[in-house]
Amino acid sequence: MTVARPRPHPHPAAPDRPTADVFWTIRRREILGKTITYLLLTIAVLLILFPIYWMVITSFKLPREIFRVPSLWPQVFTWNNYKILLEQKDFLIPMRNSLIVASTVTVTSLLVSSLAAYSIVRFRYPGRTLVGRLILFAYLTPTSLLFIPLSILMARLQLGNSIFGLVVVYLTFSIPLGTWLLQGYFRAVPRELEEQGMIDGLSRLGALFRIVLPLSAPGLAAVAIFTFTGAWNELLLALVLVTSESQRTAPLALNYLITSDVLPWGPLMAGAVISSFPLMVLYFVAQRFMVTDLTAGSVKG
Amino acid sequence: MANTTPPAVARALIPPAWRTPLFAWALVLPALALLVGLVAYPFLYAIYVSFTNRVIGNDGVWVGLANYAYLAQNTAFNSAIWNTVVLVTVTGVLKFVIGLGLALLVHQHFRFRGVFRSFLMLPWAMPAFVCFLTWRVLYQPIGGGINLVLTQTGIYPEIIDWLGQRSTAMPAVIAASTWRGFPFWFVSFLAGLQAIPKELYESARIDGANAWQRFRHVTLPGLKQVIIVVTLLSSIWTANAFEHVWLLTQGGPSDATMVFPVLAYYGMQTQRIGEAAAVSVAMLPVLLILVFLATSMMQKREDEQ
Repeated sequence: MTVARPRPHPHPAAPDRPTADVFWTIRRREILGKTITYLLLTIAVLLILFPIYWMVITSFKLPREIFRVPSLWPQVFTWNNYKILLEQKDFLIPMRNSLIVASTVTVTSLLVSSLAAYSIVRFRYPGRTLVGRLILFAYLTPTSLLFIPLSILMARLQLGNSIFGLVVVYLTFSIPLGTWLLQGYFRAVPRELEEQGMIDGLSRLGALFRIVLPLSAPGLAAVAIFTFTGAWNELLLALVLVTSESQRTAPLALNYLITSDVLPWGPLMAGAVISSFPLMVLYFVAQRFMVTDLTAGSVKG
Repeated sequence: MANTTPPAVARALIPPAWRTPLFAWALVLPALALLVGLVAYPFLYAIYVSFTNRVIGNDGVWVGLANYAYLAQNTAFNSAIWNTVVLVTVTGVLKFVIGLGLALLVHQHFRFRGVFRSFLMLPWAMPAFVCFLTWRVLYQPIGGGINLVLTQTGIYPEIIDWLGQRSTAMPAVIAASTWRGFPFWFVSFLAGLQAIPKELYESARIDGANAWQRFRHVTLPGLKQVIIVVTLLSSIWTANAFEHVWLLTQGGPSDATMVFPVLAYYGMQTQRIGEAAAVSVAMLPVLLILVFLATSMMQKREDEQ
């Protein structure tokens, strides 16, 4: 490694221009750097896109093209797989269930976590740190540890085999996550704004709903997306709790497609495409919040 | 609705000094009640059940460490220990290298930076179950894209049953898991890089530090906290993930990819609740250490702000 290379212009603000020679060396190095950057990023993007591409084209292939004469591009485009999935497998029912579960979980936990996060951020009272720590602990307690006792508990509460029961158990991960993330956003709202509002006659809760929440709108949106995604993706608890077909969520319905003896790759990939759709839409609409905020709280700058 | 002042009676009954703490507790109460009922209680209950011989339909009796003794000489359980160590370590290293490398690349100024960044986050925006179902199809001997590309380009002439043989099943799970998991590391590192003050790089340059030295003495120390927190979180998540193994291999072939959550699920399916609970509780000591470290780090960072 060459460390002590003599530097003709040690100060970047030095006014003299580099000689043509130096200029071209720098320029060449810049172009090389750019090329390598684009090359590596393009390879990465191709590796990311290939599985997604395979998912999409498999969903449009006829069985003989999937199994007998495999090709990188479907020779015949068909909607058959979608038809099988929606008509024979009634995939709209699990999609509807998933939408109901994910949105109910999102709304409920946004409300409950807003109250809790506000309390932890704005007040000093005995037990506050402990509560904060408990919530973080709950956030990191994995579902794999809780699914057995939760299934016993839900059965005892007569909530076992229903999407309502799923909503209840999904709160175990959505509320800690929401409370943890919202603390970061609420802390950024200046206290003076609230105090001003309270002088103008708002109550404490009024200050939360009229001042803090509107000012934390991007944070609420990000938390809503994470919660929705978490509930949309959950498989283990659904697998353990739900037995009847009418209560299945999208991941559960697809899971049962592959445990049968026939391997229906076409309809399976059609289901994969359909069930990614709501999340992809959310993701593109809210990308701006996600990029900057998704690590807020856990690994904030 | 909340704008009314409390009734005079209540005001008279509650001393002023108590009002704020009571109000604050009232706000956390719903969250706290749910967490005590649905996290803390089940958590302790799982530990209790792991010391009983409970089966479905019979609450069982206290059997002490019998379940753990049984697991200690159970081959599937021992594979699960080893597999979890391999899975967490190898995916961790891969996600670190890929995530940091890509974050450093994207952190530069160039055209289409935003487009690349969005594409790099795609696997993370897809539902996990969709990812792993897709990879399951990709790995198929017949109908799978990977074998097709390998044979058609002539890189490897023979069809490989990636998920069906012991030697390739674990690498296949690792590859899919890394594909899905690296964007979290990438984005966290990118946010971390953006938080490092530019002046530090400037003064390092003035002091004559080359690119490697700037990386070693400015970038890495600046990312230290992010690296630790992300590593802890990702290890906790990977060790406890169910979908990746379940949807790809269901733990097979012959336990080659067996992990704790899948084994515990099998235990439930065969109705031996006590044993199943012992499987998930067995990883608790290690998990507690990780969780404890992560919570202290995360709370410390929060307090610094």
